[in-house]
Amino acid sequence: MSVALERVSKRFGEFVALDEVTFGVDEGELVALVGPSGSGKSTLLRVVAGLERQDAGAVRIHGEDAAPLGPGDRRIGFVFQHYALFRHMTVFENVAFGLRVRPRRERPSGSEITSAVKDLLQLVELDALSARYPSELSGGQQQRVALARALAVQPRVLLLDEPFGALDARVRKQLRQWLRQLHDEVRVTTILVTHDSEEACEVADRVAVMHEGRIAQIGTAADLLRETANPFLGAFLADSPRPSASAKRIDYH
Amino acid sequence: MSTTIAPPAARHGIPPGLRAARRTATAATGESAIARWILIGIALAYLFLFLGLPLFVVFEEALKKGVGAYFTALRDAELLHALRLTLLVAGIAVPLNVVFGISAAWAITKGKVRGHALLVALADLPLAVSPVIAGLTFMLLFGMQGWFGPWLRAHDIQIAFTVTAVVLATIFVTLPFVARELIPLMEEQGVTEEEAAVTLGASGWQMFRRVTLPNIRWGLLYGVVLCNARAMGEFGAVSVVSGRIRGQTTTLPLHIEILYNEYDFTAAFAASSLLAMLAVVTLAAKHLLERSHHAARARLIQEQQEKQP
Amino acid sequence: MKILKTIARLTLALGFVAPIGGTAAAQQKVTLLNVSYDPTRELYKEINAAFAQEWKRRTGQDVEIKQSHGGSGAQARAVIDGLEADVVTLGLAYDIDEIAQRGKTLPADWQTKLPHNSTPFASTVAFVVRKGNPKGIKDWNDLIRPDVQVITANPKTSGGARWNYLGAWGYALQKNKGSEAAARDFVARLYKNVPVLDAGARGSTTTFVERGIGDVLIAWENEALLSVKQLGPDKFDIVIPSVSIRAEPPVAVNEVVAQKHGTSKVARAYLEFLYTDAAQAIAAKHYFRPTGPRSLAKYGDSFPKVPQFTIDQLFGGWAKAQKTHFADGGIFDQIYSTAGK
Repeated sequence: MSVALERVSKRFGEFVALDEVTFGVDEGELVALVGPSGSGKSTLLRVVAGLERQDAGAVRIHGEDAAPLGPGDRRIGFVFQHYALFRHMTVFENVAFGLRVRPRRERPSGSEITSAVKDLLQLVELDALSARYPSELSGGQQQRVALARALAVQPRVLLLDEPFGALDARVRKQLRQWLRQLHDEVRVTTILVTHDSEEACEVADRVAVMHEGRIAQIGTAADLLRETANPFLGAFLADSPRPSASAKRIDYH
Repeated sequence: MSTTIAPPAARHGIPPGLRAARRTATAATGESAIARWILIGIALAYLFLFLGLPLFVVFEEALKKGVGAYFTALRDAELLHALRLTLLVAGIAVPLNVVFGISAAWAITKGKVRGHALLVALADLPLAVSPVIAGLTFMLLFGMQGWFGPWLRAHDIQIAFTVTAVVLATIFVTLPFVARELIPLMEEQGVTEEEAAVTLGASGWQMFRRVTLPNIRWGLLYGVVLCNARAMGEFGAVSVVSGRIRGQTTTLPLHIEILYNEYDFTAAFAASSLLAMLAVVTLAAKHLLERSHHAARARLIQEQQEKQP
Repeated sequence: MKILKTIARLTLALGFVAPIGGTAAAQQKVTLLNVSYDPTRELYKEINAAFAQEWKRRTGQDVEIKQSHGGSGAQARAVIDGLEADVVTLGLAYDIDEIAQRGKTLPADWQTKLPHNSTPFASTVAFVVRKGNPKGIKDWNDLIRPDVQVITANPKTSGGARWNYLGAWGYALQKNKGSEAAARDFVARLYKNVPVLDAGARGSTTTFVERGIGDVLIAWENEALLSVKQLGPDKFDIVIPSVSIRAEPPVAVNEVVAQKHGTSKVARAYLEFLYTDAAQAIAAKHYFRPTGPRSLAKYGDSFPKVPQFTIDQLFGGWAKAQKTHFADGGIFDQIYSTAGK
């Protein structure tokens, strides 16, 4: 098990964001967390990353208790909804950041960093724009930079927090397919948070549906669409655009 | 129970790229040429009346009795002492307030510290209080008849009417400038870049040095310029706590007042011109820093474009 | 407190806090701080140089006298708050009494320590008018004419202006056979003619001279003569009234502080020097009236003759005058609150 949560709870004041969540992701798996806003999916991701501390329960990454580890020590890659690129750094420097801040002993040499960053930028097909600043890129390009940056530290787990949420529909669709391909290539354990169940079903190996701080249902996309075990889940999935409908919608744009 | 989810495009608005494009589009449209010229004219007249003219008068008065008299006045030992003291005071007050300003802005906007509102209000206090009142309050604390007076006397420490007092009073009145520049800036920027840095393995210091500081540097620079201008120009508070000992605790503004009161107008305006020139130097330094940064950036982009076929 | 010490040390290290006062080695340079009032800036500049020369000749020691100037009352307040003056040379005895009483850095009988009630030179109250005296101002009673605007500072804050006020009061008292009611009415009418009440004497001089407000400036004779000389002999005239008050700015060693600095001896010598012929000559040059008999004989003729009354004669001393006229709720507060209406 690559990531395991055991009875993890988190409150913000009165609000219960996570209510004894138990959940696991296998090595190399891509799991999507779906659910409406406030369902706790982003909090779950941030707890795994160490950006929030759970009030109770345990998080294990590759079997190791993550409690004593800060976000920087968990070997995770985090991709934010609004990219969170360092606006004063070039694309190249953004991707190189995680390598440059390593302690001196573990830090790769300058040429090693350069070649690693070049490879990553090739992987995300942005090697031509390495000297640009984030503000000079489109949203889709920025998010690909953010992915490359997260991958640069060779994470054991990749955490994507609504990575395509701020993009327009056409780009979102392209990036989603591209992400799937990328994952097939890189095979890093990935948790993808999204509110778009279509996206979740298309990309993920398994989909977990969250509702009011709990995991309401978890299974393959096909399982979920067939079963709709939970009344909420049925409503939620029914609300999402079907592939044909969404294709039509894109045509109007 | 039903939960509706808005289509993503509506929920997240226009992508940033498009937003920027729209902004430039509106800037080009709008007011007619006449209106624009009238506005420019008003702005220029205003600037001339309230900045250009006084500045001109300062130099005109300073040079009234000739260049020789001007430089003789500037060579006066007490005036030079006042100049050195002014630079010392700014040199202590500005760095301290930079540290304070960054810490306070950080605590208020990024750290999850309780009592934000109180901290913001406290940081604003020196702007709300008249500097003379600040000086008098200072005397109530550190004067011989003040709260700490007996203790200070018992330990033979003199604070009131020393350079120390001048420095402390200046720190107090210039305290808000850096923090006030940074708080809205850091608030707007949010914490996600810092979070990204942390997940990439940056230590607290690396995060601050490589991410936070570069992001706030222009706001910080502006805050430093304002803080410095006030530190060098402060009169009211310093006048009260300094005891106005000539050649010892008089900063340039105090010395200017002394010279003016002694009907020594040439020297008074010569000293004023020094103060004005210090301000010009500060602004020029700021401008040069900004320009060299923009130039470096333009070069980088150009190199990038040349590389592409 | 740690940060205070650090700053103190830093400023010391950079050589900015030259310790005031003498040090153990007699031959080292000694520094005195003379806390004075506004109109003596030019005077002490010259006297200090002369004394430094004299002291060097007598003892071989260098002495530097630092000056601090401001409104007399504010300066007294600063000394009480801990401004480490070795000597105080203020505008009126009352301010030094305050230091004795509240700061306790000099004895209550300080005024007996030096000749002439510790007053090395004096002045009197005079009028400055616009060139040619267009309003025909000749004496105090012209100041209450409704067509005359009078400039003087606030006697609550300015020591010099208290002398102006008492001068007017004394004139009216003598004119009306000692009637307090008549004097009060006269002074009230005079302050009704004051459009701007500056906080300090120099401030009202600037108001009158630079800003061109008012028909007549009430000022000390030395201040009047100095400003006319500095700012335009062709623009102003000086009018000496028929009778005036003798303004006596006293001096004293701030004994506790001087002792701490080890400067008692040089401080006393400095004040005694003010009574020498050399210093009296400098004072006369700066339009202060000498008090020494020999100097008086020498320079007396250069000052207009004017009958003068003293504060002790007409007002029973400063303590009483202060309490009756200038304390909160005193006569000035009463007449000024009605004068404004």
